[in-house]
Amino acid sequence: MTLRTPLRPLTRILKAREHGENPDAIERENLRLRHEAIRDKMRQRAETRLLLLAMCFFAAFVTVGLRMSTLAASEPEEPRIATSGSAILNTRADIVDREGRVLATNLVTNSLYAHPHEIIDPVAAARGLAGIFPDLEEEALLRRFTSDSRFIWLRRYISPEQEQQVHELGEPGLLFGPREMRLYPNGSVAAHILGGAGFGQEAVNAAEVIGVAGVEAQFDEDLRDPARDGAPLELSIDLTVQSAVEQVLAGGMVIMNARGASAVLMDVHTGEIRAMASLPDFDPNARPQPLTEGDQADSPLFNRAVQGVYELGSVFKIFTVAQALNEGLVNPATMVDTTGPLRMSGFSISDFRSYGPSQSVSDVIVHSSNIGTARLAQMMGAERQQRFLEQLGFFQPTLVEMVESRSGRPLLPARWGELTTMTVSYGHGISTSPLHLAAAYASITNGGTLIRPTLLRQDGPQMGERVVSEAVSAQIRDMLRAVVTDGTASFGDVPGYAVGGKTGSADKPRPTGGYFEDRVLSTFASIFPADDPRYVLIVTLDEPEIVALGEARRTAGWTAVPVAAEVIRRVAPLLGIRPEIEPLDGFQLSSASD
Amino acid sequence: MSFLEYTVKSTPNGLRKLLYVNWALVILLTAVASIGFLMLYSVAGGSMSPWVEPQMQRFGMGLVAMFVVAMVPIWFWRNMSGLAYGISILLLLYVEFFGAIGMGAQRWIDLGFMRLQPSELTKITLVMLLAAYYDWLDSRKMSRPLYVLIPLLIIAVPVMLTLRQPDLGTALLLLMGGGAVMFLAGVHWAYFAAVVAAGVGAVTAVFASRGTPWQLLQDYQYRRIDTFLDPSTDPLGAGYHITQSQIALGSGGFAGRGFMQGTQSRLNFLPEKHTDFIFTTLAEEFGFIGAASLLLLYLLILLFCVITALQTKDRFASLVTLGIAVAFFLYFALNMAMVMGLAPVVGVPLPLVSYGGSAMLVLMVAFGLVQSAHIHRPR
Repeated sequence: MTLRTPLRPLTRILKAREHGENPDAIERENLRLRHEAIRDKMRQRAETRLLLLAMCFFAAFVTVGLRMSTLAASEPEEPRIATSGSAILNTRADIVDREGRVLATNLVTNSLYAHPHEIIDPVAAARGLAGIFPDLEEEALLRRFTSDSRFIWLRRYISPEQEQQVHELGEPGLLFGPREMRLYPNGSVAAHILGGAGFGQEAVNAAEVIGVAGVEAQFDEDLRDPARDGAPLELSIDLTVQSAVEQVLAGGMVIMNARGASAVLMDVHTGEIRAMASLPDFDPNARPQPLTEGDQADSPLFNRAVQGVYELGSVFKIFTVAQALNEGLVNPATMVDTTGPLRMSGFSISDFRSYGPSQSVSDVIVHSSNIGTARLAQMMGAERQQRFLEQLGFFQPTLVEMVESRSGRPLLPARWGELTTMTVSYGHGISTSPLHLAAAYASITNGGTLIRPTLLRQDGPQMGERVVSEAVSAQIRDMLRAVVTDGTASFGDVPGYAVGGKTGSADKPRPTGGYFEDRVLSTFASIFPADDPRYVLIVTLDEPEIVALGEARRTAGWTAVPVAAEVIRRVAPLLGIRPEIEPLDGFQLSSASD
Repeated sequence: MSFLEYTVKSTPNGLRKLLYVNWALVILLTAVASIGFLMLYSVAGGSMSPWVEPQMQRFGMGLVAMFVVAMVPIWFWRNMSGLAYGISILLLLYVEFFGAIGMGAQRWIDLGFMRLQPSELTKITLVMLLAAYYDWLDSRKMSRPLYVLIPLLIIAVPVMLTLRQPDLGTALLLLMGGGAVMFLAGVHWAYFAAVVAAGVGAVTAVFASRGTPWQLLQDYQYRRIDTFLDPSTDPLGAGYHITQSQIALGSGGFAGRGFMQGTQSRLNFLPEKHTDFIFTTLAEEFGFIGAASLLLLYLLILLFCVITALQTKDRFASLVTLGIAVAFFLYFALNMAMVMGLAPVVGVPLPLVSYGGSAMLVLMVAFGLVQSAHIHRPR
């Protein structure tokens, strides 16, 4: 503190007294001066402060001005959705058919959620949402909106129309999160093959899409692998063929009053599955919930062609005959004793209809003789039969490229004695999937090399190990053709396509043991064209029953065969097979080189 | 006895006061408000309703209020400042306890012809009381801790009450406005240094408490801060305001798209387009020129306030004028910074332009105080 002038300076007061003046005036004057000095000092300080503040103001003005000019000079750029959560968005590869047509792709949509504390008018918001989404209840929404929760999921994904409607509610507490969703543009076509996808980890800004069934689950990691760089997964199926097969099969199932149906169409040389259907089916865009009670095999999610294992019946006879021919035990003209019934350790084998005491091997197939087939099996024995069936792939799951194939494990007889050998020879006592059957038929008719079924597009024929000789394969084809022209599958003839095949009508086993007498699984295993087969088609109907010529018919010849014939009629042109006039005996118009 | 009261003989009286009104300031205020009318007209899609007409009525009412306040000598207002502050605190408390009974967060009191936000009123009464306090206080005692504590309490009470509403923008404005008056009054440097240090500490605490059960801000306030720091993280969510307004500013360019031609605002891309984000409409339709002109008008208004403050010898008059100038500055600076992405979105209107009754009326009353200080200065 500086030394101040005293308010009553002694010398001046004394001098003033001498002059007779009031010394208090001096004090007042000094007091005034001092106050003015303080005020000026304060004023000066205030001015300094004001100057500083003005500089702050000015700096703010300059900043705002500069920012304004840079923004005015900037090119407006719309923000991209992908800037948020792009790590998860758009990473799942598409799935396409063999022609590149899209079977599964991604759609960027939005999820809908709410921040209740930011909702301005909960009543109006609840009413508006209930109007847009009929399954949301207004009262329940209002209760949740006025609760203490800070975050509410409303919808996993919404359509663009719904998004617009929610926007129009103008409610700031309703928010959208971008997300990728799996879309199957063809609806239920190839549903079982594709399987479906669901959401894995979910966040507000993105959600992980994971495959839950079928090819989607089998190739889940590949489809999500960023290294694929969006390259689509190419399947072996053909969308048009798949669609036609499903359509005809669905119609056939209704006409034949069947509970279920399945079809497998496979290339006999490459093993590529061109179409595979199982009915009832579902829409993978909205997968149904698994059944909580009853038999999972009744669920639409159940793939009868891959997961279902059935005693397929007489379609198995061709394997017994093929083995006997291949091992040189018989030739197609060899006569076989078919007197029945054939009794074996208290068990009796009989034929559906008797064609005389002995028939040629060829006729055993054409007339589907259980007794004749059992006699051939007896000649070979259990061990050789097992080896042959194992070679054809009947002892293992097919391992086709979908997760469900692992559960399609064949059911084999526990004890494989002589009687079992005889029943297995005509398809009883062993349960396999229709896909197993398709692969085995392809293997013995394509010239005799083993085929493994696949859902992925192949570049050339599979060169599997040999199962039967080319000559036997040709004999088998002739026999299968004769079944259609002269035997049990006469409804299977499609003019121009030389269909060959074998029927099978297996009584379904009772859960309590034994067999139903009025419930069958009817199967037609066909090849076309029979002289130079390119495709094998398996059609299976579960418990079909029609009334024809005055009585109830369940056998494959009346049920599965006409359906299969209709399928062939529809898909053969789609597969690019030209109809041909039947070659006469001894003439080969087409070259059966393989 | 205030300095002015014994030099009152030199100030005009009666209707002669009208001659001494700072008419340039009146014209500036009218110009800014007119820009607001134009923008509201454009935002409404070329219609006087729903915003332009009520806004004009309020501005008219504000002008009348300004003249009424201006005619009354400034020392009367100084004597009233304690009462005014008390009333505004009572109103804040009323809103706190009775507004909540209504729906949601109610920040206003319905007066019939307008909705009064007590927090807006407080911005002025706080400045008045602080100015009166420093006018009363012996300037030599000013920096003693006890005498610093009193104004701090005066500031803290309304700040706490507005924070509880919760209205972060207004609380910030109150805090900064009050602080500025203390700074201008001449409180010792060290206190401000301490406040800055404490501010840094508080920011740290706010962020450190995030996610813990005792977090200091609401979740949405944290999100706004996040988005402010990087708007591109959430361009369709919380960053939407900022991104869209920057697009609007960018698309305006130098000369703008022309009156009623703005797409961002007219096509409803912008939320709050008639209130907090009205500046984007201006920038889009009149471009850089329009935005800079508004900025210039604001600058001139500030300048007139500062000149008035420097001309008067009365401590209350000069402090209250400067305090109002600072509050006004904070208003538009924060709003513009927010719109341009320089500050977080805190909900501050653009003064005299944004649609809103309380802010408009309160500002006009404040400028009435400035005019009163101008008229009743000794000469």
